Amino acid sequence: MRIAAQVLLAYVLILLCGCLWHYLPLDRAVPDVVALSAIYLGLTARQRLAPATLGAVIIGYLGDLLLGTPRGMQAMVAGVLSILGHVIHRRLLLRGRVVTMLLAAFTGLVAGVLGTLVRLYAGHLPDGGDLIGTMLRAALVTGLAGPIVFRSCRAMDARFARTHREREAAREGLTL
Amino acid sequence: MLKRRLLDYGLAGILLAIPAALFQANLKEPANLNGFDEAVLRLSSPLQAAASWVTEGLGGLWSRYVWLVDVEEENEELRGVNRALRDELAETKRRAADTALLEDLVELRRQTPADAIGARVVAADTNPHYRITRIRLDRGEGEVEVGMPVINHHGLIGRIGKVYGEYADVLLLSDPSSSIDVFVQRTGSHGALRGLGRDDSYACEIEMLERGGDEVKVGDVVVTSGLGEFPPGLAVGRITEVKTKDYGLFQEVEVEPVADLSDLRVVIVLLAPPPRPDPDAGKRQPSARAFGMTPY
Repeated sequence: MRIAAQVLLAYVLILLCGCLWHYLPLDRAVPDVVALSAIYLGLTARQRLAPATLGAVIIGYLGDLLLGTPRGMQAMVAGVLSILGHVIHRRLLLRGRVVTMLLAAFTGLVAGVLGTLVRLYAGHLPDGGDLIGTMLRAALVTGLAGPIVFRSCRAMDARFARTHREREAAREGLTL
Repeated sequence: MLKRRLLDYGLAGILLAIPAALFQANLKEPANLNGFDEAVLRLSSPLQAAASWVTEGLGGLWSRYVWLVDVEEENEELRGVNRALRDELAETKRRAADTALLEDLVELRRQTPADAIGARVVAADTNPHYRITRIRLDRGEGEVEVGMPVINHHGLIGRIGKVYGEYADVLLLSDPSSSIDVFVQRTGSHGALRGLGRDDSYACEIEMLERGGDEVKVGDVVVTSGLGEFPPGLAVGRITEVKTKDYGLFQEVEVEPVADLSDLRVVIVLLAPPPRPDPDAGKRQPSARAFGMTPY
């Protein structure tokens, strides 16, 4: 249920991002909401990774459908990010706005690199263009959007918490 | 515990394989949508449309009423462009007016059979008491002499009053010092037209108009008689008021000039009277002999 709620939240965020990115002042640098949602699921996966990965893959697939990337591309990246989040979650205390932003920017960068690798495999990379610059700008914007996305996810988690401790932890931003 | 974790990671790996397979399939057939894709897109499209509508509305509100940073600069730029365009428009209008003026002059010159020159009105006296009684032409020296008639395509305007350098003043027929011998075209009544010098019109009067068989009427056309420096038959004005007395040989009438003296742009100065009409015009002439030989 919690995963379904997170997928629904991510779906809404992707929809909004698709509508709002035209108004952002950074040209094509769009916050990677899919990556943020996916790593959040990995970070908060607790003992079971598979449901989180499933949720991340679904979120990624929805991102593929709604944002126009080839189907499966963002789903793969999101799945990898959820696993990565699960791997690092025991070593990470996600608390404070700066840390959240740094993690979000790092997530954006990793998602950019993974996406570039997939595009390289598919032969979809353009010949020219500032690939690294675009990636860094996207990571920066993703970092800026990170606190908002994570806060939304935490609020959703707090609603679906089974215990008072879980609810407080979700509100505080502690990964469990 | 380890077994469970390995199972968990294995499941995650399998889950990763699904999008990889989808991606591979998508590379082969990018346009092929399955039922789930279609359902998601059908559901999402109206939602996105609604979100876009709200976003555009809010964006418009923001950019039109709140975020007006560049508006001042843009306004200044647009004012500059507007000024430039106004200047350009004024210049174009001036050129159009000049062109129309020249066209009028050419047409007027073409219609005038007498030896004449065209001239442009370059100034007018603007004395508030006498209004426009003289105009200044841009031609004169060596060509124009005092007393030469000045006309436009409507009729008589006046005569050359002064010539100085390249310019000449025209004494309008509405000036009190102007006197022109005229007759009423319909009745043949003869008289001298003088300007009244009014400050609200260009009216003239004929003081001693002969009373002939027919009484003159309002609307009768007054033309030059041919006596004096004006050629005969030039339209001068129309009678606007008749002051007939029960006794006496003469009557008084007021005449409004046919030419609009308040809007003179181009005029013709008659240098010489028009050629006399050919009395043989219209008569059949015998053909000349072809080779100068008398037939048997």
